[in-house]
Amino acid sequence: MALVSGPGRGGSGGGHTLPEELHLYIDKHVHYIQTLDTRKDEYEYWLTEHLRLNGLYWGLTALHLLGRPDVLKREEVLDFVFSCMHEDGGFGAAPGHDAHMLYTASAVQILATLDAFGDLETRVCGGRMRIGQFIASLQDRKTGTIHGDKYGEPDTRFIACAFMALSLLCLLPIINVPLSIRYIQSCANPDGGYGSSPGAESHSGQIFACLSALSIANALRTVNTDRLAGWLSERQITSGPGVGGLNGRPEKKEDVCYSWWVLSSLAMLSRRHWVDGEALKRFILSCQDEVNGGISDRPGDMVDVFHTVFGVAGLSLLGYEGLEEVDPVYCMPRSITRRILGK
Amino acid sequence: MEREGDGEKERKSIAEYRALLDQVNTKVEEKQYSEEVLALTSRLLKKNPEYYTIWNYRRLILLNHFARDVTTTLEHDSTPLTLSKSTNDIIVGDLQFIVPLLIQYPKCYWIWNYRLWLLEEAEKQVDKGTTVRLWKDELALVGKMLDRDERNFHGWGYRRNIVSQLERLAEPEQKTMAEQEFAYTSKMMRAALQNFSALHYRLKLIPKLLDERQADGAARRKMLDEELESMQEALIDPFNQSAWFYHQYLMSTLSEDCPRDAAIVLDLSRDDRIHYYEQEVERIKEMLEDFDDCKWIYEALVQYSIEYHQLTDIKPKNDLQFWLDELQRLDPMRSGRWKDLREALKL
Ligand SMILES: [Zn+2]
Repeated sequence: MALVSGPGRGGSGGGHTLPEELHLYIDKHVHYIQTLDTRKDEYEYWLTEHLRLNGLYWGLTALHLLGRPDVLKREEVLDFVFSCMHEDGGFGAAPGHDAHMLYTASAVQILATLDAFGDLETRVCGGRMRIGQFIASLQDRKTGTIHGDKYGEPDTRFIACAFMALSLLCLLPIINVPLSIRYIQSCANPDGGYGSSPGAESHSGQIFACLSALSIANALRTVNTDRLAGWLSERQITSGPGVGGLNGRPEKKEDVCYSWWVLSSLAMLSRRHWVDGEALKRFILSCQDEVNGGISDRPGDMVDVFHTVFGVAGLSLLGYEGLEEVDPVYCMPRSITRRILGK
Repeated sequence: MEREGDGEKERKSIAEYRALLDQVNTKVEEKQYSEEVLALTSRLLKKNPEYYTIWNYRRLILLNHFARDVTTTLEHDSTPLTLSKSTNDIIVGDLQFIVPLLIQYPKCYWIWNYRLWLLEEAEKQVDKGTTVRLWKDELALVGKMLDRDERNFHGWGYRRNIVSQLERLAEPEQKTMAEQEFAYTSKMMRAALQNFSALHYRLKLIPKLLDERQADGAARRKMLDEELESMQEALIDPFNQSAWFYHQYLMSTLSEDCPRDAAIVLDLSRDDRIHYYEQEVERIKEMLEDFDDCKWIYEALVQYSIEYHQLTDIKPKNDLQFWLDELQRLDPMRSGRWKDLREALKL
């Protein structure tokens, strides 16, 4: 699944005024995702190869939430996923790309969504354990932090990737979970939020990652809940053209992807009602390209599959009618995480 | 949709890009870690700096060179698969190559990561004086990056990293860089009062700075007073979110639970805490005279009054009721939050 953006723009950027009563163009978005991989005549298709496996996870998840789980052919998806797998159990973005935590997490999420852990064992001998060991090898056993690959800097995002993937594989105990939790706690700030490493400023993307990891490890009691939820609720823009949308940090612009990270974080803290859900719904719906499908970061910008899945997931979390329920911890269909985790 | 005339150009770009990629892939597979291949990866990364695997190829080429460099000097054996330049030139050349990419793509994780990796590897290859000089140059570079975008969190993270490297390399008797970095945050604050990234860094520096100054109780109080004072000045514009969050940061250091390494004043008595809360709440109440439509003022009053109440058992019930009503009126989009708060306070 390519991340090539456009061709359309979200909302009024296309030149047409939006209808008074907004709704979700489900069929258009399904078609948009379905045709992403046919756009090989666009330069951007090739420039975004380093995101292909993530893109597949985003597209597949969006389709499931939109109620069309069978649009992509299962075997074709699996062929592609396994073609990205390395000997050491890690996954790259596309065949020939190096293994990295970001793509390994996406691969596991796709396999989970397609109920394909059996296929994993059939196609790759000891596949499940191999993936687990790749992830475990990236944990720093002194600090608990987790690296993206053998070269890169650690980042709280990778703790979330590791926890998500390992818990779906039922392998969480192979890493030192309490140590990683302590590391996350060392990244907490007086505003209740978390940064990418100790000392770093709070940032909604990192907060989502930390809360997701803490939720998986059953350690949300360590969060300064009301302080953090207050900070998160202040991310909602209450006036001007972006009204209803959420931003990632104080004084930044609203964006559909941050809307997901903030909203899902609030949901994990049981404080989803601390922002105006109806206004956020209107903001996300106003970012759709109602002609060609797809959702953009904010009205007037090019649509892409990344903002499409987070827009749809946000609407799902807001209880938008006709959508499958999303799991705020994993950004996957809730029915699937319930099947695997049994809770 | 696709512009007709651009179709040909697009096809050409794709063909060139894919040919270049094929070439790089083949040569790296053949373990040809030469200058030519290094140059090819440079061309490719200029077209697409997000292609992380190509950055890894570059790492392989350099590591190969570093490993061979030792053997070649020992054996005077000229291997064709290595780089002809000196290790020093290669490191400096690579650092220079990255600068324009960083400026063009300041939010690309892979570039920042590669640069950090290169500097860490460089340390194993050059003498300590050179290493220190390299890191100092980085401080100047990241200063420029933050001038271009004062909120870039990659830039701030990189800055913290450089500072810790320089402090690690310093002689034992040398002071840390806390003083210098504190001055830097003052400069950034003067440039933009809404720069929360600078304020965040500042709060993390203060305890370290005070320890290093061996500040006594009076000096520590003076620091807290000055910081509170400067936020009151910033709050002449009460819609400045960053100033409110920094104010909240400062107030959080009054708590008994504030860890030692985050504290400003170390010997706060209960009376001191009460004094600070009364002083700040009074100051914030005064803002209401000029601004009765700014929700941030009411939010701060509610929060600090609750904390004050926990200290003193004095319940400003009527005030709280009024402030929450005002919050509901001015900020109806967060009414769920105000409702929960009302219930928690049993109002
Ligand atoms: Zn976005």
